[in-house]
Amino acid sequence: MVLGRVISGKFGEICARQRSDADVELGELLIAEENNNKSLLQVYDLVYGSQVSQQNLELISGMDLEENAKINFFDPKLRNYKLVYLKNLINISDITAKTSKTLPDFFSPLRIVEKEDLKFLVTPKDSLFIGKIRSGSKLLDVDVNLPGKDVLSHHILIPALTGKGKSNLLSVMLWNLIDKLFCGVLVLDPHDEYYGRNSLGLKDHPSKMCTYYTSKDPPVGSLSLKICLRDIRPGHFDGSINWTDAQHDLVYFYYKRYGTDWISKILGEENNPLFHEATLNVVKRKLSSLLDLRFKEGVIISNGIFHLTQGGNTLQDIIKDLEDAKIVVIDTSSFSGSLEILVGSLISNYVFNKYKYYKSKGVLDTKPVISIVIEEAPRVLGKEVLEQGPNIFSTIAREGRKFKVGLIAVTQLPSLIPRQILANMNTKIILGIEMAPERTSIIESAAQDLSRDNRTIASLDKGEAIITSNFTRFAIPVKIPLFKDFVLREQKEEAQNKIYTKQSFNGMDMEGE
Amino acid sequence: MVRFAHIADVHLGGWRDEVLSKLSDQTFVKAIDICIQEKVDFVIIAGDLFNTALPGVDRIKKTIEKCRELKENRIPVYYIPGSHDFSPSGKTMLDLIEKAGLGVNVAKGNVDENGKLNLRFTKDEKTIVKLTGVIGKRGMLDTKYYESLNIPPLENETGFKIFLLHTALSEMKPKGYEQMEDTPISFLPKGFDYYAAGHVHVRQISEFEDYPLIVYPGPLFPNNFKELELGLGGFYIYNGGKEVKENRDKLEFVPVHLAQVYSLKLNCQDKSHDQVYEGLKENLFNRDFSNTIVLIRLEGTLLSGKPSDINFNVINHTLIEDQKALIVLKNTTKLQSREFEEMKVSHSSVDELEDNLIKEQTKDPQYHDINEEVLIKELMKSFSSEKKEGEVTQDFEDRIKNDVDNVLGI
Repeated sequence: MVLGRVISGKFGEICARQRSDADVELGELLIAEENNNKSLLQVYDLVYGSQVSQQNLELISGMDLEENAKINFFDPKLRNYKLVYLKNLINISDITAKTSKTLPDFFSPLRIVEKEDLKFLVTPKDSLFIGKIRSGSKLLDVDVNLPGKDVLSHHILIPALTGKGKSNLLSVMLWNLIDKLFCGVLVLDPHDEYYGRNSLGLKDHPSKMCTYYTSKDPPVGSLSLKICLRDIRPGHFDGSINWTDAQHDLVYFYYKRYGTDWISKILGEENNPLFHEATLNVVKRKLSSLLDLRFKEGVIISNGIFHLTQGGNTLQDIIKDLEDAKIVVIDTSSFSGSLEILVGSLISNYVFNKYKYYKSKGVLDTKPVISIVIEEAPRVLGKEVLEQGPNIFSTIAREGRKFKVGLIAVTQLPSLIPRQILANMNTKIILGIEMAPERTSIIESAAQDLSRDNRTIASLDKGEAIITSNFTRFAIPVKIPLFKDFVLREQKEEAQNKIYTKQSFNGMDMEGE
Repeated sequence: MVRFAHIADVHLGGWRDEVLSKLSDQTFVKAIDICIQEKVDFVIIAGDLFNTALPGVDRIKKTIEKCRELKENRIPVYYIPGSHDFSPSGKTMLDLIEKAGLGVNVAKGNVDENGKLNLRFTKDEKTIVKLTGVIGKRGMLDTKYYESLNIPPLENETGFKIFLLHTALSEMKPKGYEQMEDTPISFLPKGFDYYAAGHVHVRQISEFEDYPLIVYPGPLFPNNFKELELGLGGFYIYNGGKEVKENRDKLEFVPVHLAQVYSLKLNCQDKSHDQVYEGLKENLFNRDFSNTIVLIRLEGTLLSGKPSDINFNVINHTLIEDQKALIVLKNTTKLQSREFEEMKVSHSSVDELEDNLIKEQTKDPQYHDINEEVLIKELMKSFSSEKKEGEVTQDFEDRIKNDVDNVLGI
């Protein structure tokens, strides 16, 4: 059915008259097709049009409202109508598509987009599934798969307000990445929601490729998060402790002198003539408070996750799992903000340095991409934080793609992140944002021109998103499936194909055997 | 209050060398003698009593003899088989000990209709201590046993409980053991009073929430050069009646060292093999090495000569014959000759290596009208081109195709 016809406008601002019985939505995808010229267009505005002047329209409505005059238009469908404003997305030629550089023909008919029109959206190698193509609020049965390796190494930003489906999106993404061999994902999970300790989550994936570290009552098969004190370097505190110059000097003095034992040496130090007593005491207090340690009768007593002997291989194990393309979830829900940043920074530093080493040895190509999920990203990538100096996350944002290490940064307030870093986030999966300054910061740093999409972004419903990326031809509207439904559907299929085998416990002294 | 010995990783028969093999056997005998002398309530062996599934008859006889001595002294032995105790078919000589009534394998249970592994407790009659455990298997095959454990009944059992395990626990794996496969602690049932562990050859005591005391005694006798250097060897005695603040203080480590160890580490960097020889003489000769194992570790790159040029025969002979050393062990894995190193450098450049390979491959060209060597290098250069900043994939692919077309002249 023809929904309308192109009647005027210019490139990026095409105006079409809408058919009276057609129902066109903001954000809807339409096809303008004539003479082998097929353009994919997207609605960015809807306005009223009339052959009757505004003054007469006002008079006629006044007569109806004030005097109950029964007035009918002659040929009402012809005289009053809706105008649709569209922007060019792409020109389609069978299974290929090119960036739009021409206008659709004058008077081209507009029709609804169909699955066949989007054949050019092939599933890339090493794909990352996000959801289904959405045309306005209608769903098309076309999967949106991004080139996972590129997208993950060039960082993803997920800006959205609360309740717009951030966690659901991440859950769906992680579920789909868990058995992919091209990437490992480190998830710093401040709400303990992705593993699914008490609900559906990554633990339920049949591949069992998720490792879960938690500091509180680890479920069977998961790991108690313990990190060896000897693995901590002074630089790991960037972003979590602000040292004064004197404290900074003291910390580095001990690190240079005692190497990996520097923390225990500081905590056990009574006094040091090279440093002011107060400086030493403040450093001791800051360290023992953040690391949850006590020094008693010459012994370090650990109350938290940092330990002198336990967790000696935790960091190596995490990196090994990531290199084995697993998902590693760190439950940081019981941590203070500073501790969460320290743990994230510690692991990210090791990952980044390991991958830098691999690059120097020429073996990086054999390694999977590693992506690091950080929620509330401005805590480590915010302007105020970075004014105090760079940290590992800002370094990864700037240089990570060269070393196959990327970020998946989630935030409600993208405007707090510096422009340069936002620009480095080459893929943005934009969920609903009602606050204008936040929308502006995203639109200004998007990979495609979203200047006309301000209203569309504001009107995105829960689970609806727009993907703008250097690795997509146009900003793709997408509907993210509900994680629970998605998983239950997959599990049902899995259960049908599962073959049950009897477990043997060879070697155990079994009764009756 | 309960008082027991915790031994692990004895690896009887692990040493090929006769002297060390004998020392290892004697250490086990001594450890059992100490247990009898200390009047412990029972002895726990947390896996790997033997180094192989089929130990020699003499070794089995000696082991059975010591177990009988324990029995005569009313000291029961509770054990689990470790990863070394099994043959590929799952047989173990430890079954003989149990059949003879000289020890109890506490890894007992049954499988319920849901496929869950229900462990059964073995109760020590004298102390009422309850013991159970999971065997150790090579290649972490025991992980599936832990995955299938029916945990609630184990946790709900009351009384003093001991869990025996023979696996590396992830959270306790020491530095340097990165490659060792491991199992998370969360697989273990919680709330046991003592977790008697084996498998990791490092002495460790750890306390975790819900796991009050996880103990690895390390090997009873060192199993390799490094363990000899580290002076490992011994077992723990847990003394439940001891009034102490910390639980771990109830443990007493009992070192069992029947011979002394003298360890020499010599830096051979930029020394000739003669200088190294002289250095060894200077450090080792004219000492009394009675009842001593002498360890020599050499590291660095020799200025001249090869490691085999160092006259170890004289050193060995002198130390053993004249100075009465029990045995002399040398480790030269980190000692190399300069000639070898230079040869490595000459082939360390990737470009050079590629050149050599291309030359080798194009010795008999298939196409005589083109210079294959040049063509291959040009093609490799084109294909190794990286995507430029801001270049989209399509443009990048087109550029590579153009470059290749140009090289091929098409």
